[in-house]
Amino acid sequence: MDEQELMKKIEEGDEMAFAQIVRLYKSRIVNFLYQLTSNYEKAVELAQETFMRVYFKAKRYRPIAPVSSWIYTIASNLAKTEMKKNQRMKTVSIDDEYSRASSQIYYEDNPEDMETIKNLRKALNSLHSRYRIPVVLKDIEGFSQEEIAEMLNKPIGTIKARISRGRAYLKKEIEKNPEDFDFLSKGEEYGDERA
Amino acid sequence: MEMKELNYLKKLEKVKAPPDFDQRVMAQLSLRKRSEIRARRLRLSFAGAFGALAVLVIVAGLFFLPQKGDLRYSGLEKGFSPEFSGYGQQNYIPITESMEYAGEVRSKAKQPNTIYILEQVSDTTDTRIKY
Repeated sequence: MDEQELMKKIEEGDEMAFAQIVRLYKSRIVNFLYQLTSNYEKAVELAQETFMRVYFKAKRYRPIAPVSSWIYTIASNLAKTEMKKNQRMKTVSIDDEYSRASSQIYYEDNPEDMETIKNLRKALNSLHSRYRIPVVLKDIEGFSQEEIAEMLNKPIGTIKARISRGRAYLKKEIEKNPEDFDFLSKGEEYGDERA
Repeated sequence: MEMKELNYLKKLEKVKAPPDFDQRVMAQLSLRKRSEIRARRLRLSFAGAFGALAVLVIVAGLFFLPQKGDLRYSGLEKGFSPEFSGYGQQNYIPITESMEYAGEVRSKAKQPNTIYILEQVSDTTDTRIKY
């Protein structure tokens, strides 16, 4: 059964179809939300809420877009709200976040260089959500600019500009302390453009 | 400006969902479904209560509250014409005046060929003079 059919079943209240969608997307969505929030517990919580909305708002899904785009749109909106809420509240140190939640994180692969990762994440977290979401969707999740524009309901020109500015900002942040990022000396800064 | 993918973002650690994620989602789903049903019932009962209250107010308005139109003739007594200007409405000035019929009859009685018949037309004597 393809994803569109599963969505139709969910619309009719089929819990088995819903469970199948959850199985298909759970790790991708948790990882995506983790990259945006840098908090595993929060990412899991938001992923649960994402799937709740998938079930209860299934009637709003239009098969013109892939199911994955629609689910990522819901997750992006939730993440954006969460990031805004965090900006209003007091700033939490990235070290605190790691020490608080690291014991409960389930990794896909064992992370190699935690120090570099921590510095990278610090740079990514300093990026405004307006830029962070399209950069993560493009450079980590691998969506095309057109797909991102569709997901975030923005013109493609805006998305291109945001990705470009976000990357430039990240590059600048990383180059402030090049000793923290050993890959810079190896020339691994950019890869091939896929989209 | 050429857009190149930032390679180093790929170096960020990847995470996956916890092993009990599916169960947690399904448990949350049944919980939400139950609370949705409860909320729907509550909404329905509120709507029902509101509707019943509205009907009650309308019925009370129709049967129990005094209506302006009925007042026009309700105060009329036997022998009064409905056309009597303003009776039953509040636009008259009631004036009470004591009458001395005995003296009046006596003075008129001196005139010849005049017969006066005094009869009671109502049980309650209305002494008011309406202008």
